[in-house]
Amino acid sequence: MIRVLGLGNVLMSDDGFGPYIARVLDAFYEFPDEVEVLDLGTPGLDLTPYLLRADAVIFIDTVTSDGAPGETRVYDREEILRYPPQARTGPHDPALKEALLTVAAAGTGPSIVKLIGVIPEWVATGVTLSSPVYDAVTPVVTLVMEELGALGIQPIPRPVPRSPHIWWGMPEGKVPHAIAE
Amino acid sequence: MPRITIDPVTRIEGHLRIDAEVDGGVVRKAWSSGQMFRGIERILQGRDPREAWLFTQRFCGVCTTVHAIASVRAVENALQLDVPLNAQYIRNIILAAHAMHDHIVHFYHLSALDWVDVVSALKADPAKTSQLAESLSNWPGNSRMKLTAVRDRLKGFVDHGQLGIFQNGYWGHPAMRLSPEVNLLAVSHYLEALEQQRRINQVVAILGGKTPNIQNLAVGGVANAINLDNQATLNMEKLYQVKDIIDEIQAFIQQVYFVDVCAIGAMYADWLGYGRGVTNYLSVPDLPLDTKGTQFDFPGGVIMDGDLAHVQEIKTFNEPFFRENVTESIARSWYDGAWTRHPFEEDTEPKYTTFQDNGKYSWVKAPRFKGAPMQVGPLAQVLTGFALGHKPTVKWATKTLDTVGSIAKTRLSPAVLHSTLGRHAARMIRTQVIAELAQKHWNLLVNNIATGDTSIFNEPVFPKGEQRGFGFHEAPRGTLSHWVVIRDGKIANYQAVVPSTWNAGPRDEKDQPGPYEASLVGNPVADATRPLELIRTVHSFDPCLACAIHTVNVEGTEIAKVKAL
Repeated sequence: MIRVLGLGNVLMSDDGFGPYIARVLDAFYEFPDEVEVLDLGTPGLDLTPYLLRADAVIFIDTVTSDGAPGETRVYDREEILRYPPQARTGPHDPALKEALLTVAAAGTGPSIVKLIGVIPEWVATGVTLSSPVYDAVTPVVTLVMEELGALGIQPIPRPVPRSPHIWWGMPEGKVPHAIAE
Repeated sequence: MPRITIDPVTRIEGHLRIDAEVDGGVVRKAWSSGQMFRGIERILQGRDPREAWLFTQRFCGVCTTVHAIASVRAVENALQLDVPLNAQYIRNIILAAHAMHDHIVHFYHLSALDWVDVVSALKADPAKTSQLAESLSNWPGNSRMKLTAVRDRLKGFVDHGQLGIFQNGYWGHPAMRLSPEVNLLAVSHYLEALEQQRRINQVVAILGGKTPNIQNLAVGGVANAINLDNQATLNMEKLYQVKDIIDEIQAFIQQVYFVDVCAIGAMYADWLGYGRGVTNYLSVPDLPLDTKGTQFDFPGGVIMDGDLAHVQEIKTFNEPFFRENVTESIARSWYDGAWTRHPFEEDTEPKYTTFQDNGKYSWVKAPRFKGAPMQVGPLAQVLTGFALGHKPTVKWATKTLDTVGSIAKTRLSPAVLHSTLGRHAARMIRTQVIAELAQKHWNLLVNNIATGDTSIFNEPVFPKGEQRGFGFHEAPRGTLSHWVVIRDGKIANYQAVVPSTWNAGPRDEKDQPGPYEASLVGNPVADATRPLELIRTVHSFDPCLACAIHTVNVEGTEIAKVKAL
């Protein structure tokens, strides 16, 4: 099983990026049975059920890194776990690391882990993405497709896209059709 | 006076700071402080009440389901809307599964390592461990071969200098007291519980559509179309999948969780004497058995000053005794003003100062019931159930006290439950009762469908003008209530009074400490630089500050960043 997991809180503005991507992916692509695309919110240690019985996991999340809002970053498992205190790879960082280490303690968990991140502009109470982070939707979808491609997975674009149903809020003047354009 | 600051204390999403003044190796005074503000309730103003649950489900990434259910109940209460029986049962099974999941994760993954020394387990003899396990339980997972494999895996971590998830524990701490064999057994169950919590999570996924954010709720019922012969709907195949998982989980809960808690309870029996704190208890009834919320499988009530004989029952979803007696105080919280108000009348205007011992020091408000601080959670659930003569609760509480007593070779009365370990015992007792009631509600659902009833939803209609409603749910961490004011079909005000606010809240206008603060007083502290004892007591409440203060998260990976001042 390969899982694509969007992480973040949709009520915290740019922090909702991961769930947003999960919905966009699901709306625009058909995935084979061995791929699950999920919006997990901010599960903390409850991430572990989704790491069990998975060969590969691709996380999408906001990350803290030097750079401009909207810039993307890709980390692998080793990088996520390399520098516990310094490498603040994201606001859910402790849980992400703890969940990975917890399943590792049981001698299981995915052997391939990727974290595709975007640098947020602001993370505070609110329901819309900032403009630079909204503009990162298409590049991040491309990055997800590349990672899936490396795993031998070729999702098929839906002939008629579904609505991504971004129920929590859209940036002003934007539509949730970042991929079709 | 020497002072210990633990910041942050939670291992899951949240940011809680505990300050304790220690004198002569004992805590004399404590402060509990939520360190981040979000004010998410404000997002709900002006929205459609039928969609509120989608938003409230995102308050906290761990307690998703519970905020969804409290929200639809609040709106249903405002409209006095009945909920079809099938919908009640489906909701109840989801809530029961969520609670079992939560309690297993809390005990094994979030708090067991406060009592279990992982490094000591390396010295264990797997054969002796297996013999010990067989003397306690029939669980098939305790074989010598399996325990040898667990020990060898641990040894591999230590030999490579990579303890991974176990690196932050207080290994070798003088307050750690289990034998190497018991430690090995507990570590083995810690790992086994990972698979169990994955399994029970599937019940929520099957009935809720998805996890962790369920999709099947609606104000007025659920969206699970019922047709026993249709692949796309709730059918017999899916219902039997649910039943199989509940059976498996119940076996683990009875044969492993029960035994582990009883063993730890007996071997740390002195911890039945610490962590008492506030002995006012609040719980609300849950698992409704009718369409109006007047009959329940879990009782709820109020106990003041630990006086079980004078428990006052909370009887219905309309209970005025509950509705009229909840207030929140911001006298010591970082909000503008110093008021004490009913949730319908509250606002959320932040005003941050610094951490002031005798002034404002927390983002958490201080909830009160008839002006008194209340402890909520499994201990409140078990004590009110016990006091009200709830048969399954009495049965499991008695069995637990007898078993702990027989291992510790002493007689224990329910009074020992007012303690740090009492909260762990109560959580386990509650889980046993939940498992039994999950079975019962599965049967109720199947039997009700068999009568030909496939109703799942009553359409909500919003009249002009103002309606006020409150919805409660007895969540894994305790009493959760949502309070909604609806005006002309839109949300005018929304407040959530959550379990961790009741327990982790600060002092109030009368300087009465909250349950965390009170429970820490009198705790021993053997080593101020490694205050394991304080963490034991705080963890016994199952802190989850995410929803109390709506935090994003914290940096770093330490369990507790401790500053001993």
